[in-house]
Amino acid sequence: MGMSAQDKMITVANRLGLTSLKDMQGTTRMVYDSQTTAALTHTFFKGAAQRAFPLTNIGANGNQFQVDEALLVEKIGFFIPSAADGIAYGGLNGFSVKFDVFIGNKCVLKDATCEFAGEQAFYNDGNVGSSVIDLEGVGILIPPQVEYYVVAKPFDGVGRVASSQRLGCYLFGTGALLNFNTTI
Amino acid sequence: MANQVQKLSYVDAKLGVGLPGQQTTRVIYDSVNATAGQQFYEFFTNFAGKTEFQTNLTTNKLDSAESMVIKSIQIIMNSATSNLADHLNLNIQVGNQTVIKDFDPSFNATSRGLAFDRLHSGVGVNAPTNLELRLLTDIVIPPQVNFKATLQVSNALVAVNDDITIVLKGYGRIFSAGNSF
Repeated sequence: MGMSAQDKMITVANRLGLTSLKDMQGTTRMVYDSQTTAALTHTFFKGAAQRAFPLTNIGANGNQFQVDEALLVEKIGFFIPSAADGIAYGGLNGFSVKFDVFIGNKCVLKDATCEFAGEQAFYNDGNVGSSVIDLEGVGILIPPQVEYYVVAKPFDGVGRVASSQRLGCYLFGTGALLNFNTTI
Repeated sequence: MANQVQKLSYVDAKLGVGLPGQQTTRVIYDSVNATAGQQFYEFFTNFAGKTEFQTNLTTNKLDSAESMVIKSIQIIMNSATSNLADHLNLNIQVGNQTVIKDFDPSFNATSRGLAFDRLHSGVGVNAPTNLELRLLTDIVIPPQVNFKATLQVSNALVAVNDDITIVLKGYGRIFSAGNSF
């Protein structure tokens, strides 16, 4: 039987010396960032502390989780903001995205693509094609206090040519939130 | 990995709540009647003047022998002008502790191919006013501990008297005397 998400978080955290992570509050967590200026290449989460809701939800702490907070990324989704205010958004709508994910100095997901409607085997969202990719295995852990970012290039899913688009990205999975187990 | 039943028993036991109680599926909800353009809502903190269909609680904590797991969160917006498809920011606190932090459940609204759930069916494609989020981690609300939820909506299209409701659903325990009084 495979390892559960919680088991992987604790195992990786212990190896990193983060032995208190197992005592933190378990949660379901997602972070997202969006850029509403059309471009051929987008870098998400890096510098996102300068952006406010609804463009991003990562807040003032920026592209790293605070002490004893973490996210095991199990799903990555891409979306297209409808306008410059970033309030409304839709799926990739025929476009696909080539992307890399970096945690610290390490590239943890390399030259991957999120193909529009690429998860139809087990992904059912009415008649609409998927704009997400499920990570195989148990996922990838973003530990606390380590910077992470995603570099993404949108392209036309049919012609396979680069396409300048507005773009957004979310990382979703099992998380941990800081929980003081003593009074301070 | 512990299931809902095991986790509730474990947490309750750690907190010294030993009574077995009647096992059940618990659904609790609270509604806020909006003012025009309102973008920030607080749930489970004010029950004054609400009908039984707007909330099924009278205080923001469960009874002394009752506890539950939050496994599913449903958000319902009864509005002709606004929707749940634009970015949202949901926080849930149990006790003094944040258990859901800056979460955007709007990706589970409608059918856009962006849902967190692999088997998903969006409701209200043209007027997305109902979404449900299934959590990956079970979260316990113990007996007699305050809890609340806050929701920020990015669009300011809510009209006066629109109702916004949050439903928390999961395995729970309710009081069972186990004896005659």
